[in-house]
Amino acid sequence: MVVVLVLGPATAALAVELDELLEQSRSASYTAEQIISCSTPDGVRDGLVRIEQNGGELRLTSAVDDDVEVATGAGTWSVSREGGLVSEASVTSGSEKDEPLYTVEDGRRVQFLGRNAMSYRLVRDGELRAELVFDDATRALVQATTYAGEDVYCQRRFVTFDPEAPELEVTAMVEDPTVPSAVEDSSLPIEVAGFERLDHYVDDDGVEFAYYSDGFFSFALFETPSKVTLDDGVSIDLDSGRYEREFTAGQVSYAWETREGGVALVGDLPPDLHEEVLAAMPAPDHRGLFRRWWRSLFG
Amino acid sequence: MTHPSELISAYLDGELTEREHSSLIDHLGKCGRCSVELAETQRVRSAVRSLPVLELPRGIVPEGDAVIIPLHKHKGLWAGVAAAVVAAVIAIAALVTPEPGSVSIDELNSRFGARVSLDPAFGPAKVPVPSVGFSE
Repeated sequence: MVVVLVLGPATAALAVELDELLEQSRSASYTAEQIISCSTPDGVRDGLVRIEQNGGELRLTSAVDDDVEVATGAGTWSVSREGGLVSEASVTSGSEKDEPLYTVEDGRRVQFLGRNAMSYRLVRDGELRAELVFDDATRALVQATTYAGEDVYCQRRFVTFDPEAPELEVTAMVEDPTVPSAVEDSSLPIEVAGFERLDHYVDDDGVEFAYYSDGFFSFALFETPSKVTLDDGVSIDLDSGRYEREFTAGQVSYAWETREGGVALVGDLPPDLHEEVLAAMPAPDHRGLFRRWWRSLFG
Repeated sequence: MTHPSELISAYLDGELTEREHSSLIDHLGKCGRCSVELAETQRVRSAVRSLPVLELPRGIVPEGDAVIIPLHKHKGLWAGVAAAVVAAVIAIAALVTPEPGSVSIDELNSRFGARVSLDPAFGPAKVPVPSVGFSE
């Protein structure tokens, strides 16, 4: 078993209990509809998804657009639209954070959708960061609330719940998964705002991918040879420069240009941590028309 | 218990005030009837959206009287020449400067999804959900 949330003897028992619940929740079987509601600096972002989970296979279907389907299992991830696979990815290894930041401060009985459940509060640096509610009978994680400062950032909550095991087709494994190479000499920070760089890869297309986690929230930083586009991004100016930003239900994406190409950050970290994280990453540098022109002519 | 049915429709349209929004979200967690109504309403909307769009034949909708706006010409010879030169410079720059290709965020999202699925804390609380929101 992997202990990810332990810190301090006073909370060790609760943390182990929570850790076991998290592990059990990954293999719980049920069907549910989940509302995702996030209060972001760019407005409210909501989503409604149907979740089917059975034996470690998780399938999400959008209740808004029936064509979108996300399936995941054993490190493989796929997104389908209109019945066709539009993207898939597979990773072959992972690592865990050695020194977790979170304490577990509460473990109390609650009722959720008329069922017995347990609620836990995760605290980081003295600040409440998340509350998780697990269904007693199935161990399913039925509600997760995350906080930015004193405000609720996102809440994912089951609004319907059927504890019967759904019949799921086994997710097709990627036949020829891309196995990226580890980057030996990374110029990216090892640690920023409590997030530790766990791994850093580069693939055949020259896209570098670094994964950061603080034990609960996580984000990925991508460095690409070309610009990264956000469909509905808004421009924002921070001390470190200008970025394009897009919030979706439960996730944020930033994209910007540097001298070398494009950079994107994708993750679920709360907004009050964004600026500190972005300031530690490669700085924005918009390549003007004439600079691109010059580079195209003379390299 | 009062069931705020009228708020559910406004919720799906993204038209609730902040107070109404949080009140409804709280209510949905406690009320199975409204949760089912929300899911059903959303399903009906999705079904309606998926219906084919038919074009009306001409003549069914009355067309307004066309208004003809005269086009003013002669703005001055030099202004025209200057505009043509600027346009030519921009066109040449665009032609000789290759537009760098771009990477879609969806593709990167997928890679993040694969990596985060190995996270010990992964689950419905962590799974990235691409493009499923209804108030974005």
